[in-house]
Amino acid sequence: MKRREIIILSLLLIGAFFTIFFPNIKSQENIIGYKELLSEINKVGRYATTDEIANAIINNDPSYILIDVRDVKQFKSYTIDGAVNITLDKIMDEEYKDYLNTESYTVVLFSNGSSKADQVWLKLRCTDYKGIRVMKGGLNEWFKTIINPQKPIDNEMTAAKEKQYLFRKQASFYFTGTQVSSGVIKTKSNNKPIVKRKKKEVSGGCG
Amino acid sequence: MGPLYPDIINPELNLLIGFLIGIGFGFILEASGFTNTRKLAGIFYGYDATVIKVFFTAALTAMIGLYTLHYLGWIDITKTMPTTFWIPTLIGGVVMGLGFVIGGFCPGTSLSAAATGKVDAMAFIVGVMIGIFGFILTFGSIWEGLRKSGNLGKVDITEWIGIKEGLFIFLFTLIAVITFVIFQKWQDHWKKKLSQDDINDLGL
Repeated sequence: MKRREIIILSLLLIGAFFTIFFPNIKSQENIIGYKELLSEINKVGRYATTDEIANAIINNDPSYILIDVRDVKQFKSYTIDGAVNITLDKIMDEEYKDYLNTESYTVVLFSNGSSKADQVWLKLRCTDYKGIRVMKGGLNEWFKTIINPQKPIDNEMTAAKEKQYLFRKQASFYFTGTQVSSGVIKTKSNNKPIVKRKKKEVSGGCG
Repeated sequence: MGPLYPDIINPELNLLIGFLIGIGFGFILEASGFTNTRKLAGIFYGYDATVIKVFFTAALTAMIGLYTLHYLGWIDITKTMPTTFWIPTLIGGVVMGLGFVIGGFCPGTSLSAAATGKVDAMAFIVGVMIGIFGFILTFGSIWEGLRKSGNLGKVDITEWIGIKEGLFIFLFTLIAVITFVIFQKWQDHWKKKLSQDDINDLGL
C-alpha cells in the first residue's frame, strides 16, 4: 500500500473513533417511545392551570402561545385573549408547524373541557412536538376559576387560598374589562408572541 | 439548513458554487482515471479495485464529515434523511449495476468521459437520456405503483440494529478499511499476473 493511502485511512479511522463520543441524532430529535409517552401523559407538568395562564396574559408573558382547538364558530363566539384558533383536523398542517413545534415557547392547548385538547396534545406529542401543554379543565374551568371565581367558604380559607382568590378576583376584573389599580394587575394588551418562520427545507439529491 | 445557505449564499450564488464544484468533481474523476471504462469495470472482472476504494473513501469521508458537521451545528442532517422504499431501490440498484458493467460508466463518469471526447460515453449518455425520458413519460401508467412500493418510512440501520450511531460509524469505517486493504492486496496480486502490454491496453 502507498504511504498516501495509509495516511488517508488512518485519518478516517481517527475521525470515526471520535464520532463514538457524539450524541445520537435520534436522541437530539427526541423521538418519543411509548413508555416515555405513557410517563408524560401521567406527568402533572403537562397541564397548565387557569391561574398560570391568567397570570401569563396579565403580565404580557411572551413565552406562551395559546391555541384554541375548538371549531371556528365557538372560537369566534368566545376565546381567551391572544389565543389562536387551530382545529384538530388542521393541527398537523405545514403552515402551523413552526407555530407549534418550538422549544422557545410554551404552547398551551385548550378546548371547552380537557378531552379535545388532550387529543391534540397526544397527536402533537407523538409527532415529536415539544413543550406542548394543556390548560387543565379548559374553558369550563377558566370560567369557573377566573371569570367567575367563587369565594372559598370561611372555614376552608387559608392564607394561600385567600391569596389565590384575590388574584382570581383581580383577574376577573381584568378579563371582563374593568381595570383595577392594585399593582398586581398591569395594562391589558393583546400581545401575541412573534414566531419566526423557519427556513424552507432544502430538497434534492445527487444522481 | 446550514450557516451559509440561504442567508449568506443566495440561490443564484448557490447555483454558481454548484457549477464550480461540478467542474472540480469532473476534473478529479478524469484525473483519477474514472473516465476509463476498463478501469471502472475492472472491479467486476477482478483486475482493478480503484472503484471500490474510491467509493469507500468517499462514503467514509461523507459519513464522518456530515456527522461531525451536524454535531457542530453547521448542518441539520435530519433534513437529508430520505424515506426508504426498499423494492424500487433494490430493482434500481440492479438496473444501475447492470448498466455500469455493460456500459462501463455511471452517470457522472459518462459526462466526464464525454467531455474528454470519448464516443462510447456519448452513446452512453444517449442511453441514459432515453432511460430518463422513458421513465418520466411512462411513470404514471407503469412505474408509479412500483415507485411507492415497499415503504419502510424513515428508517436507519443503527435504529434497526440498536447500537449507537457513532459506534456504527466506527465499526463501518473499520470494516471498510479492512476491505480496502484486502482489495489492494488482491489488485497487487492480479497486476503481477498481467503483462505490461495488458496493463497498457487496459489503461491501468
